[in-house]
Parts: sequence; C-alpha cells; structure tokens
Amino acid sequence: MKKLVILSMLFTIVLSAQEHYTVSGIITEASNGETAFGASVFLKGAAIGAVSNEYGFFSITAPKGTYTLVISYIGFADMSKDIVLDKDQKINFEIIESSTQLDEVIITAEESERVNIRNPQMSVSKIKVETIKKIPVVLGEVDLVKSIQLLPGVTSGAEGTGGFNVRGGAVDQNLVLLDEAIIYNTSHLLGFFSVFNTDAIKDVKLYKGGIPAKFGGRVSSVLDVRQKDGNSKAFKLTGGIGIISSRLAAEGPVFKDKGSFLIASRGSYAHLFLKAAGEDNSAYFYDVNLKTNYNFNTNNKLYLSGYFGRDAFNFGGNFKSGYGNASGNLRWNHIFNDRLFSNLSLIYSKYDYELEFDSFEFDWVSSIKNYNIKYDFSYYVSDAFKLNFGANGIYYHFDPGEINPTTETSAINPLQLDQKRAFESGLYISAEHKLTDKLTASYGLRYSAFSRLGGQVLSNYENNLPVRYNSTLGIYESGTELSETNYEKGKRIINFGNFEPRLALSYQLNKSSSVKAGYSRTAQYIHLLSNTTAVTPLDVWTPSGTFIKPQLSDQYAIGYFKSFKDKIYALEVETYYKTTDNRIDYIDGSDLIGQNTIETEILNGEARAYGLEFLVRKSKGDFTGWLAYTISKAEQRTLGGAAGGPGINNGNWYKSSHDRTHDVSLTGSYKLNNKWTFGSNLIFQTGRPVTYPDGQYEYEGLKIASFSDRNSNRLTAYHRLDISATLTPNKNANRKWKSEWVFGIYNVYNRKNAASISFGQNRETGANEATRTAVFGVVPSVTYNFKF
Amino acid sequence: MKTFLKHIILLLCMALTACTDVIDVDVPETEPRLVVEASLDWEKGSLGNNQIVKLSTSIPYFSNQTNNSVTGASVKVTNTTNNSEFIFTDENDGTYSIANFVPIIGHTYTLEIAYNNQIYTAEETLIPVTDIANLYESTANGFDNEALEVNIDFNDPVNEENYYLFKFQEQGDLLPELLDISDEFTNGNTMTVFFEKGEDEDINQDEFMSGNVVDIKMYGVSKTYYNYIKLLIEQYDSVGDPFSSTPAALRGNCVNTTNVNNYALGYFRLTQVVKASYTFQ
Repeated sequence: MKKLVILSMLFTIVLSAQEHYTVSGIITEASNGETAFGASVFLKGAAIGAVSNEYGFFSITAPKGTYTLVISYIGFADMSKDIVLDKDQKINFEIIESSTQLDEVIITAEESERVNIRNPQMSVSKIKVETIKKIPVVLGEVDLVKSIQLLPGVTSGAEGTGGFNVRGGAVDQNLVLLDEAIIYNTSHLLGFFSVFNTDAIKDVKLYKGGIPAKFGGRVSSVLDVRQKDGNSKAFKLTGGIGIISSRLAAEGPVFKDKGSFLIASRGSYAHLFLKAAGEDNSAYFYDVNLKTNYNFNTNNKLYLSGYFGRDAFNFGGNFKSGYGNASGNLRWNHIFNDRLFSNLSLIYSKYDYELEFDSFEFDWVSSIKNYNIKYDFSYYVSDAFKLNFGANGIYYHFDPGEINPTTETSAINPLQLDQKRAFESGLYISAEHKLTDKLTASYGLRYSAFSRLGGQVLSNYENNLPVRYNSTLGIYESGTELSETNYEKGKRIINFGNFEPRLALSYQLNKSSSVKAGYSRTAQYIHLLSNTTAVTPLDVWTPSGTFIKPQLSDQYAIGYFKSFKDKIYALEVETYYKTTDNRIDYIDGSDLIGQNTIETEILNGEARAYGLEFLVRKSKGDFTGWLAYTISKAEQRTLGGAAGGPGINNGNWYKSSHDRTHDVSLTGSYKLNNKWTFGSNLIFQTGRPVTYPDGQYEYEGLKIASFSDRNSNRLTAYHRLDISATLTPNKNANRKWKSEWVFGIYNVYNRKNAASISFGQNRETGANEATRTAVFGVVPSVTYNFKF
Repeated sequence: MKTFLKHIILLLCMALTACTDVIDVDVPETEPRLVVEASLDWEKGSLGNNQIVKLSTSIPYFSNQTNNSVTGASVKVTNTTNNSEFIFTDENDGTYSIANFVPIIGHTYTLEIAYNNQIYTAEETLIPVTDIANLYESTANGFDNEALEVNIDFNDPVNEENYYLFKFQEQGDLLPELLDISDEFTNGNTMTVFFEKGEDEDINQDEFMSGNVVDIKMYGVSKTYYNYIKLLIEQYDSVGDPFSSTPAALRGNCVNTTNVNNYALGYFRLTQVVKASYTFQ
C-alpha cells in the first residue's frame, strides 16, 4: 500500500518536471583522487542543492536557466562554476584543500559534522578520521571505537572490554560495516584496541536511530566505516611507530591512471608488553586492509576491498588461542543516467576463533561466515524528491564449535556442534522528500525476511518447552528432550518476515534551527550468545529459529538542532524512547560453552531504554571540540512465559549492564601554532550496574557469597582526563618527508577506575574481601608518524 | 574443561591488567537464611555409618561473626527406596550426627529438618564413583609448563553421564580448592584432572615443591548437584570480573515446605568418595 503511494507521488513529480534538466557528476579531492562523501552542491540563489553520496556522486535537477553551481566541503576551498542548464550534463569536480600545508591538522571540521539543519536524518554522527586522530588515546593507539564512545548516547562496557553500546542497546545490536562487510567482533586484545586501522579509513558514520531503510539486520545502530580508495594521483607512504604497534600504508595510482590502490597494515609487538608484566605469556595482533578500484569509463567503476585481522595468544606454552575477522567486497558502481546511480556489491565476511589446549590434547574451532549480495539504487527524481531502493540477500553459515583431539592419547572425544544455516533478505524503498520550503521528510519501508535452513537436527521437547520452571526448587532447568527431527539440507525449518517502516521529519524553524522527529522499526535475526557482563571473543552467534525469535525494536526520537555564530557552534538536543521485543536473557547458571541446545539456557525477554542527549560542538577556529552529555536509562525484563515461574529477577525490570545514568565527555583540540597542537578528553560516567553479595555462608570449608537481585548495585563513577600534544617540526613545510610526534598521557590524575570489583575469600587469611581491578592508571605514550 | 575455557579469558584479562587492590565496599544485607551442609559422603571401602549434617545461618558478607551455628533443630534422613529412617543427634555445636547410617548406591533418600517451626525437605540419590587409576606428578600438564602439578587419572564409565567433584587441599593450607568436571566431552575415556598452584605473592602462595602433601577427594555426584556446585565454584572463583556471568541467587535442593520463599541455602547430597594423598617427590 505504502509503495503505491510512493509510486503515485513519483508520477506526479515526474510529470510536473518537464522543463527541468539535470547536472550530475563525481566530486573528488584534487590532491589524492579520493571521492568526497557529503560535499554539498548547490545552485546559488535557487535554493536547490544536493549532497554527494558515498561514491562522490551527485545529481541536481532544476528548471532551465543559467546558474552558478557551488561546491562546498569543509576543509576544502569553495568551488564555483557557471552553467547553462539547457540540457542534461555531466561535470566532474576536483576540490582543493583550503590549507596548502598537507601536514594536517585541519582546523575546520567537516560540513556534515556541523548541524545539518534541513536534512531530516537525525541521530547520526559522522566523524572524519582526522578528528579521530586528534583525540588522546591510551598507549597512543588511535582507536575508532573509543572515539565514537565520546559521542552522546554511546557508552562502553568495562575498560578493556570490547564493543560499544548505543542508546541502551547491547553490543550485538550494532551493525558494524567495513566497506559494507559485516564485522562480527570489533576488538583486538579483548577490547583494549579496535580492529580499524585509521590509516586505511576515510570516514565513519554512526546511526544511533533513524536508521535508513537501506540498512537492516540489527536493532540498535549502524556503524558504517568506509575505507580510503587509495591515492590516484601519486604514490604515497604513511606510517607510524608507537608503543604497542607500528603501521605502514602504501597507496598510489595503478592501471595506467585508471585506478588506484591502498594497502595498509599494522602489527603489534605486545610480546613485549606482556613479558614486561613478568608473565610467561604473549599476546599480539595484526591486520591488513586492502583496496583497489578501476575506472572503466565515466559510468562504470569497480572497487575491490578486503580486510584481514588476527589476534594470537599464548599462555605458558599450554594454551594457544587466535581469533579474527576476514572480509572482502567487490563493488560495481554503475551510472545508468544522470539521475540514476547504482551500486552492486558482492560481500564475504567471516569471524572465527581457535583454541589449542596442549595439556588436554585437543583443539576447538568456531566460526560464522556470510555471503552477501546487495544492489542499491539512487534515483534523483527532482530537486525535491529522491528515491533510494534496493535489495539484498545474505547466506549465513554458523559453525558453533568443533572439538578435535590433537593426539592419539587424548581423553577428548571429537565433537561437532550442529552447524546452522540461514538466509536473510531485505527489500527497501525510501524517499527524501522536500514537502515545503520548511518541511522535509524522509520515509521508507524495508521488508526483511529470514529463513532458517535445514541441514541439521533439532530437538523436540516435552510440551514444546526447552526450558521449564522447577517450582519445587525455584529454578529454571532444561526441558525434557523427547525426540529429534532431522531437517534436510535445502529445506526451510522456519520463516520470519517483518515490515520495518522508517520515518523522519525535519521542520526548519529559521535559517539556523530546526526540529526533527523520527520513528523507526528494526528487526534483528542473529544473536550473540553471551551470559557474561562483557562480550568475549569466544562468544558465538546464533540465528533465529524455532525457539529464538527475531528481535524487534521500535524507536521514537525528537530533536532540536541549532547553529550559532556563522555555524561555528552547533547545538543538538535529542530525546529517544526505544523498546525491543524478544531480547533473550540467560537463566541463572546457564552454560553456553559447547552447548548444542542453546534453547535450554534462555528465556525470551524485552528491553527498554530512554534518554536525553546534548551535544555542543565547535567546529571552526584554532579551538575545536565538543561537549556531550547524556542522561539515560536502560532496562530489561524477562518473564517466565511458557516455561512458567516468575522469570529472571522475579520478573521485575532490572538495569541492563550497559545502563549509565550520566555520561559526560568533553573533547577538545587546540592549535597553538603550526608546530604544536594540543588535545584533551575529560570523561565522567555513572558506574556500571553490578550485583553485590548480600550475605555469606560456610559450605565445604569455604565462605560462599549469596546474591539476590540482578544488577541492583553500581560500581563507583568512572572518570579520567587525557591529554596529548602533537609536534610537527617546522622543517616539514618544504620537504617531501613529513613527520609528527604525538605525545600523550592517558588518565592524567591516575584515577583508579574500577573496571570491576570482585568479591572473594583471601586464601591466606580466610577473610572475605572486595578487590578492585583498575585497568589503566596513568599511561604516557609517544608515537612517531610519517608521510612520504 | 569448560571451566578452563572460562579461565583462558580470565587469564588473559589478568595478564593484560596488573593493577588490583583491596577496597572497602558497602554491600547490601539481607535476612539470615538457614544453611544446610548435609553432605553424606560414603568413602569407598568403609561402612559409611558415621555421618554429619551441619546447620548454620547466613551472615552479612563482611561479618566475622562465628556464633551462627544452628542448634535445637531436628534432622531426619529417610531411605525412600527401602523405607528406613535415620535420626541424627543434635551435638549442640551446629552439627548433627549419626553412627548407624546405611548408604546404598542408587537408593533415594530424603532429608527433613524441623527448625524454628518450619520444615525443610530435600531429596537426593546416592551416586557411585569410579576409582583413581593413577596418581602422579608432572610439570608438562597444567597451566604452566614449568610448575609442578599432581595428576589424577580415572576411567570414566561408558554409556552413562558422569559428574565429578574434586576437593584438593595442600596440608597446611587454610582453604581447599574445588573442581567440577563432567564427562560431556570425554565419555568413556581415561580422564585426567590436575591440581597446580601458581606463585602469588599477595597471598603468600608458592608453586608445589618436593615434600608438599596434597589431600585429594574425588566424589561421584548427581547431575543436579553438579549444576549446583559448578555455579557455586564459578561464583566463588570469579564473581565480579567482567568476563564472568552475572551472579545470581544460588538455589540448592532444600525446600521450605512451610514458607516457600524462606528457602535454605546449601545442599543435601549423597556421594561416594575416593580419598588419596600425594607427596611431591
């Protein structure tokens, strides 16, 4: 029905657009040929404009006439060109950086980092890699994931653990994309660092809500990370030497200037860093990013990108472990005509881990992989109406665990947990529609479908209950397995389908302020199984099926946006309310490791979150930065349902472990002169909800803690200050080899933030005690970066 | 073995982070509950006639109070397979004893405790245990390739699910060490468990040395008890670290039939146990 409405709307617009012509093209940066995403293109005086897409493409349609076309992109000089619009035409632009000094510190942040007053898209943050690189970080390792945690509505788990939480959502509810490929685990070394090498990354967009219809599959957020295309003008080397890792990236033109390439790699020498701690253990990581593209002609361009990363651990020679992501993407940009842009992608991604237990003579491997085909179109109907539509299909293969003895004498029997297969597809259409001069709407509909595929055995339970409540003992326990059903390969076990409407409105109050409102429904079909407070690299993904239903989330948001003083300052205030159905939680004492019948360990629950976010940003001048404050609540409730009983935590709402009442971050960068730039962060967060013991008793000669309600206590507040200074030697200006030194101090006042407090008995005295683990005290660092 | 998988994460976390300190924390307090430690363990080769049940109450987490023994309760165990009754005698120190208990493998027993006008009941089956096949020391096994550990080999019976509890205590140590293991991944094979100590200056602990003596107890336990003790051990070892599961109320099998919400802590277990000692060479 909705589609019909959109189509008829489209018709009226096309019919009324007879005397109109289109100018389209690609915008690239003059210095390196990178396409410019988010540059604004407008016809001066006509109030007609557009924003370039992720491949630099723009298209503007206007009535016949003579115009001055202006291109504006922050950090770059404005560019203008007089055009006579009496026919459709194609013009490509190369924009030039406003500062001729290439050795960075771009003073002005990017256009789209400022308030975009008219665009109805809200709840989105775009960060340029240059901004990320200026934020002080622990041990000098530039970290994309830690940077987005400085934004309002985004929080982290305990220090040193992986992932991020958006608006009270769980870590597995974030769709993390690296050049469109799904990244299943964003952490290196458990979460101390993230998998993104910022040398290979162009920009990052985080959708906290109002997720566009072209994205699907996760209910909380989308982190869209795009790799650089590679310099198409000249060969360049960049690199850095830090305390934890060293980096090297090479890029340049290939295929007789018809394309370019980028290869970036990073490796840690954390062997050192653990050995220094006096441990007979080692841990290190490395990753490689690749990208290349080829221009067939003005209408056809191919991109190939890839990522491979790995972590490796070795404990005392007896345990070895490795894990990592691998992904690849082949893309074909095709411009059908000056109004119709398309991109076809073939994407592969995989996450796996392996464990080797030499003492027990076995190894354990687990993986998830997917093949994804995706076809997206943008149709620039008129200056007031743009359509996006497309389709995608993902085939998943889950291998939750394979155990194999490694010697003849091993006590371990080989075991293969049931492999699982699923197919997820999506079909969407959405419109960006300028309804009046002041009111702009973006509305769309996504239909997602999910099929759990055969090729495995499923258990059947008494009364169809994989979990039941034992009312005598007051605990949840596994149901009784009656039989098994074997589903043939190719057969569908169960199907799900969901309509996911998305709507956003923007009403411009005046030239510098607007109000926006949005609603979005999102569905999530795969779930990360984790009954621990923080996600670990050993957690396993599982598809929806007979017993695990897809998560469905509804989010409502409203916001006020204003820019001040010639767009130097921006204010964003947003409030949201979000509910999620079918959020699974784990019964007390659940055991997920090597568990073939996950359904016997879980109950279906629900989650809700609401909050108010403030962001004040200064994006021009010698001093830039932002202040973010969020007040929020995130809760969960899990009732017994068909299993009977009161549910988890007696069926009461309880705080999610990522609930943070207050979250403040102040991030700033000050350019003193061409030689010195300073940066600083100040962070304050309410402590993480935890469960403290409410008593003790003696059993088996040990003092055992007793516990009651889940997450009813909190750790002490988390706060710290970080500073950094970047030295760019003066002699840089006129030579090819450009370098900089980055000095940093993390946690300047050496606050012992409790990453956790554990309760236990001192084995020497026998007394109970509370032990605080503080991950990072004051940590100085130095990094040397170069560019050639 | 699953425990070791969890440990790997924990180890990693510890390896990367060194800074821990003991701090004061205000913890909530709750009403005391009855604690039942009714472990009727029958040592293989003995008659198993002498048994003890311990009753106490729970106390605040940081309390050092010692007068929490429960006296004046009545304790009775019934073999429901052959309907024999065993009345335990109140020793007035929190223990209740009997000298003519008759343990029979596979028989089901019930426990009935009357205390403070409330009746607590529990039911459990006596589980057998296999013998220790081999007891030896090594350095190559365990977590650390250079530290000494004692290994226990035993032959897991085929065609049945088996659950084991190990209790290790080095002579002279204040506290024992518990280990739960099932045959989930090793059914019917020769299984090995080890006990190794790492050096820890904070608690004055060294690796094993020549002359150290370790007392070992290997219990055959029921599946429900295994689920209970596994969680107890997990909560005892790693409560609060971000890679452990959220701690929860640990419910044993002692039900208060007078007032369901006032359940007792602890467990009524019946096991067969094999005991051994090992002296490092």
